Amino acid sequence: MWNWSGASHLTWLNGLAMLIGTVIVLLLALGVVTYTIYAQRKILGWMQGRIGPNRLGPFGLMQTIADILKLLIKEDIIPEKADRSLFLLAPILAFVPSFMVLSVIPFSRTHVFTANISIGLLFYIALSAITIHGVMLGGWASNNKYALIGGMRSAAQMLSYEVPLGMSVLGVALMAGSLNLNTIVMSQHTGWWNIVPQFLGFCIFLVASTAELNRTPFDLPEAESELIAGYHIEYSGFRMAFFMLTEYVYLFAMAALCATLFLGGWSGPFLPGWLWFAIKVFAFIFFQFWIQNTMPRIRADHLMSFSWKVLLPLSLFNIVLTAVFKTIV
Amino acid sequence: MALTDEAQSIRTEEMILNVGPQHPSTHGVFRLVVKISGETIIEAEPVIGYLHRGTEKLAEDLQYTQIIPYTDRLDYVSAMINNYALCHTVERALDLEIPERAEYLRIITMELQRVASHLLAVGSYLLDLGAMSPFLYVFQERERIVQMFNELCGARLTYNYMRVGGVKWDAPPGWIDQVRDFIPFMRKKLKMYDDLITGNEIFLSRVRGIGVFNTETALAYGLSGINLRSTGFDWDLRKKKPYSIYNRFDFEVPLGKNGDCFDRYILHMQEMEQSLRIVEQAVEQFPSSGPVLGKVPKMVRVPAGEYYSGIEGTRGELGFYIVSEGKDKPYRMKIRKPSFVNLQLLPELLKGQSMANLIAILGAVDIVLGEVDA
Amino acid sequence: MFGFIKGLGVTLSQLPRKKVTLQYPEVMPEWPERFRGVHRFIPELCIVCNQCARICPTSCISLSGTRDENRKQRIDTYDINFDICILCDLCTEVCPTESILMSDTFELANYDRDSLYLDMHWLYDNQLKYERAHPDRVTAGSDLQESAAKEEDV
Repeated sequence: MWNWSGASHLTWLNGLAMLIGTVIVLLLALGVVTYTIYAQRKILGWMQGRIGPNRLGPFGLMQTIADILKLLIKEDIIPEKADRSLFLLAPILAFVPSFMVLSVIPFSRTHVFTANISIGLLFYIALSAITIHGVMLGGWASNNKYALIGGMRSAAQMLSYEVPLGMSVLGVALMAGSLNLNTIVMSQHTGWWNIVPQFLGFCIFLVASTAELNRTPFDLPEAESELIAGYHIEYSGFRMAFFMLTEYVYLFAMAALCATLFLGGWSGPFLPGWLWFAIKVFAFIFFQFWIQNTMPRIRADHLMSFSWKVLLPLSLFNIVLTAVFKTIV
Repeated sequence: MALTDEAQSIRTEEMILNVGPQHPSTHGVFRLVVKISGETIIEAEPVIGYLHRGTEKLAEDLQYTQIIPYTDRLDYVSAMINNYALCHTVERALDLEIPERAEYLRIITMELQRVASHLLAVGSYLLDLGAMSPFLYVFQERERIVQMFNELCGARLTYNYMRVGGVKWDAPPGWIDQVRDFIPFMRKKLKMYDDLITGNEIFLSRVRGIGVFNTETALAYGLSGINLRSTGFDWDLRKKKPYSIYNRFDFEVPLGKNGDCFDRYILHMQEMEQSLRIVEQAVEQFPSSGPVLGKVPKMVRVPAGEYYSGIEGTRGELGFYIVSEGKDKPYRMKIRKPSFVNLQLLPELLKGQSMANLIAILGAVDIVLGEVDA
Repeated sequence: MFGFIKGLGVTLSQLPRKKVTLQYPEVMPEWPERFRGVHRFIPELCIVCNQCARICPTSCISLSGTRDENRKQRIDTYDINFDICILCDLCTEVCPTESILMSDTFELANYDRDSLYLDMHWLYDNQLKYERAHPDRVTAGSDLQESAAKEEDV
């Protein structure tokens, strides 16, 4: 198969191929997001003795599409007292990086749509940090007290969990000796999946990524019973859809990152690579929904101390352990 | 030291935040005006009255039987107990003899109602704390109780079941067996809730040591029910001033130790177990036949005077105070609403707490706005 | 420590359980016999004693009747204002001839308030509907009603 990692310079053909690739990844992500939301509602429903969406289309499969359409055609409301330019900018700022991080995820062995850049891991972490600005600006620009508190909480939470998240994946980078996600998968393909030697790192990653995604039990920024909807309380219509989309694209991206770093990416016996990848991504997403169904929400001050006092020392310990291990072996 | 000085010199502004009346966890239409500095609450003021229907005033124009359906709508999740509270006061005033079978039916329905109400309290408390599933689970169990009540008296929420001198309907055939089957089922479910909720570290960290008050404060504010018992003060009207036939049953009054939100949660769970014990014994002793409505004059006329009697409602002491001029309608009726009294402590409890604790404390005080506003 | 794992087990064990959702508009709930839905009314049995209107806590019943040639009261109009009816069942409790009863109709959603003003014909239609839906319940009841009506005649 054609692989652009070999293409050394930009030609018209390469450019066109990239454009087509981007569009395909974009559509893939949208499709995954649509059915992630559907799966969320179904799994939540089943675990709660309910049926979940079942009215629109067979088994309610069209429900999310209808929801998205509804959001898109709704009236676009910008509050009078809001900071207009920032209010408009915030969803874009939150949304664009969420799609950009997908460019480094190796979906399959023949990573057709994957940018084979040598700092893939760093690229992901760096871009996902930009989203925080969008969330914070959204909360600020709405000129709403709940949104402000939600935005501030969100910024504080995502920043403090970015650190243990970054630290926890360093162990993997040390194991593979590279930041290139393709190399990391290849190293797991030949040896153990990283979840075995990096189990501590995996646990830290799991917790930190849940917080990073603002999902239960770390869903404080949009804590419904306290802040009603958090930073996107004043958003409606397609701007609100953008925020929701960001959230679920990140869920997909984080699941893909988790699969890539710890679960061996596309590698696995018998089945084709893309299927293995899909299974692993779904396992991560299912776990998130499962947690969402069980856990109450953690309290804001506990959240911070948990990140700085528990997760950060643990992840540092993990790095040291891995480094020592690598030196000796 | 320098750091704290700097922190003090930063100019901060207090902010007034309206929680409610349209807010997902105010348990009805309730507004809380909180003054916050950062995330710390400086002052909180409950604003009530959004659900006010003037039940007490309406009662002055209604015969005693006609008031009963209005009591259904006070604390709408424990209508049976409200029904009983009114009927009990009138019966005491008239010195009526209640048939055995009616007494047992009253005990069974009231204690099942207590289970249903506590289930909802626990479920909605967990929903306030951000756990979604328990709320939906409790509705499944509550549905069985509600269905049994529906079979008994034809309504799912506003039962209008008790009458002065007895109850309206006798138990339909097979109903008592349904209740008997329900008890082990419910015990199994309580075990499940224990597994799901009580052990969860996140839940514990949110409720342990939060919203603490001691017995003196509780008594000074006139609290009753679980809010009072969570401080370790043994006060349950079913034991202390036995009404109906509660003295025939063997049950315990669970008590808390610390007076925090966790104690109030766990007391709800333990009281459900005790209620099931009472129901179990009542079902065993249930008389096989007999009337369910005693000899009551066609027109209930309470002799002139003032009457009060309180019973142990789900949320505390629920009492009806009736001033009668000897007519078929009360001259004045005053309801001692436990939710209303318990709510008074809220501003005191919230002072100095963080915003995240607001919902945890409000939920644990366990109010029903239909009763607060009456 | 790790008490939440038990909780995870509980939620997972609920996954394959039978769902409790009732597909409402397609599947109607089964109401027990005593269910208190919208009233049904049997005009022939009514003796215009006015007790139902008097006991009603919200005064939502209004009725009128005339004496016929046999000096017997006949009902002319019987209206229940369902804006304010609270379905408390007291009217059926006091009715000496069981001419006003509760049915299991419970859907009252409407676009205007006027259509909640239910008159005698609507209530009688509701009775016929109830008879068709529950022939077993009504036959037992109507025997009683007939005997009750006879008692009133005497």
